[in-house]
This record gives sequence, C-alpha cells and structure tokens, in this order.
Amino acid sequence: MLKAILVISSLFLLTSLQAAPRYSDPDGCMSCHALEGLSFIDKKGVTRSISIDRSHYYSSLHGSVPCKDCHRKIVDYPHKVENGYADCTESCHVEEPSEGKPYTHKPIHKEMEKSVHGDGWFKDLAGGNRLEEIETEQDPSCRRCHSNTLYILESQLENFKDAFDHAETECGTCHQGKAWMGQFGGHILRRFVGSRWVKNESNKLCMDCHGDVEKMRDVEIEDPETKEKHPPSERFIHAVESYKKTLHGRLLIADSEYGASCIDCHAPSDWRHNIGHYEDEKSASHSDELKNTCGQSDCHGYAKKPGNTGFVETDMHDMSMIDIGKVGSPLENELLKSSAWFWSAWPFLLATLIFMVGSLIWWLFYRHNKKIIAILGGDRFERVMIGRKSKKARVTARKSTVKQESSPTVETTPVTKSTENTSKNVIKLKPHGSGTESKNDKKGE
Amino acid sequence: MRVLENLKAIPGMQKYRYVMILLASACLIGPIAFLPQLVGADDLCGTLCMRRFYLYFPGMTWDDFFVHVNAASIGVMAFSLIMLTTFFYGRIWCGYLCPVGGLAELGSRMMNDRWKIEFRSLPQVQIRYGYFGFFLVAMPALGISACTLCNFITIPRLVEALSGEYRGMVYFVSSVGLVNLGLLLLLGFFASKGRAYCQFMCPIGAADGLVNKLGSKLKFTRRIRIEEERCTGCNICARDCMCGAITMVDKIAVIDQLSCMSCHECVDVCDWNALAWTTVPDHSQPKRIKKGVEIYPQPDWQVLNFTPNKADVQASTFKSHSRARMVNAFILLSVLSVVIAGSFL
Repeated sequence: MLKAILVISSLFLLTSLQAAPRYSDPDGCMSCHALEGLSFIDKKGVTRSISIDRSHYYSSLHGSVPCKDCHRKIVDYPHKVENGYADCTESCHVEEPSEGKPYTHKPIHKEMEKSVHGDGWFKDLAGGNRLEEIETEQDPSCRRCHSNTLYILESQLENFKDAFDHAETECGTCHQGKAWMGQFGGHILRRFVGSRWVKNESNKLCMDCHGDVEKMRDVEIEDPETKEKHPPSERFIHAVESYKKTLHGRLLIADSEYGASCIDCHAPSDWRHNIGHYEDEKSASHSDELKNTCGQSDCHGYAKKPGNTGFVETDMHDMSMIDIGKVGSPLENELLKSSAWFWSAWPFLLATLIFMVGSLIWWLFYRHNKKIIAILGGDRFERVMIGRKSKKARVTARKSTVKQESSPTVETTPVTKSTENTSKNVIKLKPHGSGTESKNDKKGE
Repeated sequence: MRVLENLKAIPGMQKYRYVMILLASACLIGPIAFLPQLVGADDLCGTLCMRRFYLYFPGMTWDDFFVHVNAASIGVMAFSLIMLTTFFYGRIWCGYLCPVGGLAELGSRMMNDRWKIEFRSLPQVQIRYGYFGFFLVAMPALGISACTLCNFITIPRLVEALSGEYRGMVYFVSSVGLVNLGLLLLLGFFASKGRAYCQFMCPIGAADGLVNKLGSKLKFTRRIRIEEERCTGCNICARDCMCGAITMVDKIAVIDQLSCMSCHECVDVCDWNALAWTTVPDHSQPKRIKKGVEIYPQPDWQVLNFTPNKADVQASTFKSHSRARMVNAFILLSVLSVVIAGSFL
C-alpha cells in the first residue's frame, strides 16, 4: 500500500501539473496535525489520536481540498473539539465546469434522508465522535461507508498511468491549454478510467454491517406506514447469508461482473442511496416495483412482460437455502405452509388414499373375475357388443336347465351326453368365456 | 409383485405402444406445458395456436381461411401428416402417438377395472359424427368456436394450478376449465380403457375415422382385418378392444373401421390368428369348391404367422422386426420434434 502511495505521489511530483493545488495547506493545519503521536484526552478520559499522516491524506480522495473547506468553524488555533465538526452537505471546493456551480453532496444527502438509513449523521462529523457514533447509532453516517480512501486505487493505477500518458493527445484535441488539464484533467481521467465502486467493493460496504448477525439482531426496523418500530425478522438478520446462496451472490464471489450487488437491486436508480423497506411503495424492492427493478437494462428485461409475472416472485433471500439451526416438525415450517404446492397436494393425497383403499377392496372381490367388471355399463356391453343374453333371460334359462338336469332320467339319456360333449368342446375352444355353463355342468355331475 | 406380473402379461406389441405414447407425450405435452411462460404470451393463442386453420366464423371468406392456414402452417402440416399415415396404415397417430388419448388410456389402465364406466357399448359412431357436425356447423353459428372450448390451454393451466398460480386456479373453477377437467376424468381416467373422449368428442379423431374408413376399402392399405373363417367367436378381442370397434355379430367378430385405431391389441390376444394388421388377402376367387364349400388358399400373413405353437412364432417374428421398428419410431419422433421446434424458432 505504502509503495502505491509513493508511486502515486512521485507521479504527481514528476508531472508537476497538479502539485500546487493538491498540496495546499493554506491554513497551516498540518503544522500541528501532521505531528506524529499528537493526541488529546476526551471527556471520558480516553486518549484519542488526532495525528494525520500527511502523505496518506494528500493521496486520498479529498487530498486536494483544504481543511477549512469542510471544517469551517475553526478560526484560530488551538480550537475546540466542537468547532471541528464537518458537514457533508456543504457546497465545496470544486466548480462544476459545465454549470459553474460549486459542487455539493446535497442531492445525495436528500436521497439518503428518504431511505431506510436516513437517520444517520451527515453533519457534526469529527474525528472525536467516531466511538460515540459506533456505540449509539444504528444508522450509518456518510463516513461509515465513505471513509476518505485513496484517490486512485492500487489496482487501477496501471490503467490510470496509461490514460494519463495519452491525455495530452486525446483530451488535448479539444481541451487545449494547460489550465483545463491542470484543473480537471486528472479528476475526469480518474472517473473515466474506471468506476471506483465495482460490485464486490460496494457489497463489502453493505456486508460490513449487515453481515454481522449479532449486530443485526439489535436493529429496530421502522414500519413504513405506521412508523412503529419493531424487532427484525430472521429474514433480515440472515439477509447476507441468504444472498450469498443466490446466483447473484455466487457470481460476484466468483469474480464475475454478471452478478448483482446489493444496491443493484435495492437502490438501482439516481445516486444509489435510496434503499427502502420492501413494503414501502417507493422502494425498488416493493412487489409492484420488482418488474422494473429486475427488468432494468442489462438484467432481466423480459421480466416486464405481462406473461412473466411469476419471474419476479423468485425469492432472492431464500431462507430455505441457509441452515439457521432450527430443526422442528416439517409441518410447522412456515415456508412449507406458504407454498401452494403443499396445499394443492392435500386433495391429491385424499384421492390417492380413496383409490388405494378401493383398489385393494375390489382386488379382493374381483381378482378371479375375467368378465367386464366396470361399475356402470358392463352388462350393456356384454349384451350389445358380445351378443350375450340379458341377465333376466340368463336367469330363466339357468332355472330351466337346472330343472331338467335334476330329474333322475336325464343322466342315462343320450341327448344329455351329446350336450355334455359339445359343451366340453366349447369350453376347450373358449377358455375365457361362458363360465356359467361350466358351473351348471359341475352341478349336474 | 402382482404389478410386475401384470406388466409381464401385457402383450409385447402393446408394451411397445405404451412406450411410444409416453415418448410422444414427453415430446408434445412437455413443450406445450411451458411454452406460454417461455414465449411470454399469456396463453397458447395467436402465433402459438396450431389449430386455428379449421376455425370457422360466420362471414368468413376464403382469404381469411388461407390467412389462418398460413399462420397455423405447423398445424396444417401435422394434420396432413396424420391423415396421410391414416390413409395408408390406419390410425397410427390416434393409437400410438396422441398424448391426449394416450395418457388418459395409460391412466385408466393403471386403475382397477371396477372404478370405470363402460362407454364402449354406446352408439359411438352416431354420437361422434353428430357432435362432429355440431362442432363444425352449429357451434360457429351459435358463436361458440373451438377457441371457447380450447383444451390445449388446459395443459399449461394445469401446470400453473399445481404450482399455485392464481390464474391457473381460476381457470379450473371457470366453466370451460371444469368441462375440460370433467372430460379428462370422466371420459379419460374413469372410462373403461380410457378412450371414451376419442370415441365421442375428438374432432381430429372423427376426421381421422372417416379417412380410415375410406382407405380400408382399398386393397393395398394396411388395416386390422379379420379372417372370418378363422374366428371362433371367443370374443376376447371384443372385450379387449379399447375403442369398442369390434362387435360380435352371430358369434363372429366384425370390425368397425370408423372406430378402429389399429392399436393391434386384438391381434395380440387372438389365439386363432383370425386378425392381422395387413392388406386385403388376394383371394377374391375360391381356389376350389369341394362339396359346395368354397376353399381359399391361405393368405400370406397366415402362412407367415400361423403355426400351431403361437408362442414360438411371436418369439421369432416379433423380435426380428422390433429393433427396426424402434429405430423407425425414433426417426419419426425426432423428425416431428424438429419440425415443431423449427416452427417456433
């Protein structure tokens, strides 16, 4: 890291284009604060360091900004702690070249104020109250996420150098004159070379707090309608774990930019700070807004089509994917009860039970029966299609044959013998048919 | 174990037919179930509709008809293919491929016979063509078209309802949904042999039956045909015929070619080789007349198939052909699926 800082600072020294504005310390703050080991004892008796590493500060994002631009109340020194407070929404040092207005973080702060994190600090920021903030505040201040980081990241340095070498020829075609290059060249190049916030880095900011399960347990959630505060759900507490199980999270962990970061879905528009409660109608994660959130450019554009309403109902913080150590009866599982598959299974289960019992009973009764045993229409089938006599006719025919056979003279007559023979032949030819005749034969014998 | 025994008892040709039905269902039902979601259309109407070429609405001109034919070209192609195979080989589509009748039949066959209602003895030809005429003529005049009763959409809606989606649930308590569900259960699963819908309602089947009857009059077309001299009147074929196409008239089986699906089950169960899926045997003139009895030479298929021990014949002839038949089936199915997939891409 230190090496990188040295390289950056040497780069600027050599080019000497930005050296004068960036190293300005017109108020002489550094004459004291750059001293190593400078510290004071606060009201609680804790020793607090107020020493600033000069090279570290100058190579940071606000390195070219004079101290007094933010710490405005300090007039002379030694100053009081309270006078050191900074306000992130003040207008500041740089003028927007297109509009000529001084640059300010105010729109971002306005957006932030409407979000769920809106109660965090944006002013009265000073080195001295960091501990106080961490102990008392649940909402993050600006500096909680945006610490004053390096102006150019180590990973982007090579790219930047490369772009800087060509800046004279490429930018200079239109922006002639050293004044422009000196004032804006480096700044615009830095933004041009690459966004600072790659998805994994912005996720790191969110997960710094939201990844801590114990800390999240203590958070109080404000209801967007009633403004009542209530303890967080398990879903909120384990949000990061469940996110990491989705494809969105897995892709980013595998260093693929195809994944979606936290703010890609929770704050997709404007200044990327308007994170809302999922029941808030303005929130990007509200169920009515999901089709636009999922369907934003480069993502799932087809989610906006009316036939794909099911797509946005995919659970992106699926609690069933993570093991949160609760093992109970599966029927008491809330996830199971909310599943429509579970409820539509019951009628099928009932029908299956009836079928199984009925099939068993009817198998017991009809397993040796080779006739048509349909519950309705079987008799008609035999009559119409097979050409059998109707049931009444069969019964009367059987009665008459039984009467004939029961008389003692029948056995000796040749007529019955011949009928017996023919009926035996018929049985041989028709192994599946005419069961009643064979029964009659047995009775006769 | 009883299940295994039952499975073993299925004749070889029928096992092959069941596999064909399952394969065809996987190829045809599967895409239909998920197409609306994949394509992003709300239902199977519009560009996805394969059957609107035979829609009639009052005031329709020939131009409208050709527009429909053009839009539903895949449906027209499938319909022509079905009719063409039917003309030469019998109702192969209905018996071997159609997933609507096929799945209902398989479902029905898996249940105990006691559950079922016997529809086969009803006057099916009269009912079928009466309804077919009503479907073609009266319903468009009344303002009800095939779209109102669309049963294609049943499949994706069923999938939706099972996955708990609101729209699918609502569909199945709407009148059209209830009618379709009722048809599936009453004329499908709870009908004896599961082919009652094909017998009474199916418009494709009705058109197919007409072509089948027409083709059967020609000698070179293959149909299930009966050798009346060999029929002993044992009526196994009539009991097992899933379409109720075989009636015993004076103890001899008579095949109704308007209803027969060439499913081959009667051939499999006949112990006397009285039936075969074959062309008309060439014996219009008796070879000899002996004591007033006309004697014909044995038809070709009987020379091939008939020996006293039928099990040996089945083992030898069926096995030698089965592999080639399977290959043919796979080629046919893959061509069909390529055509269907190609039409959507």
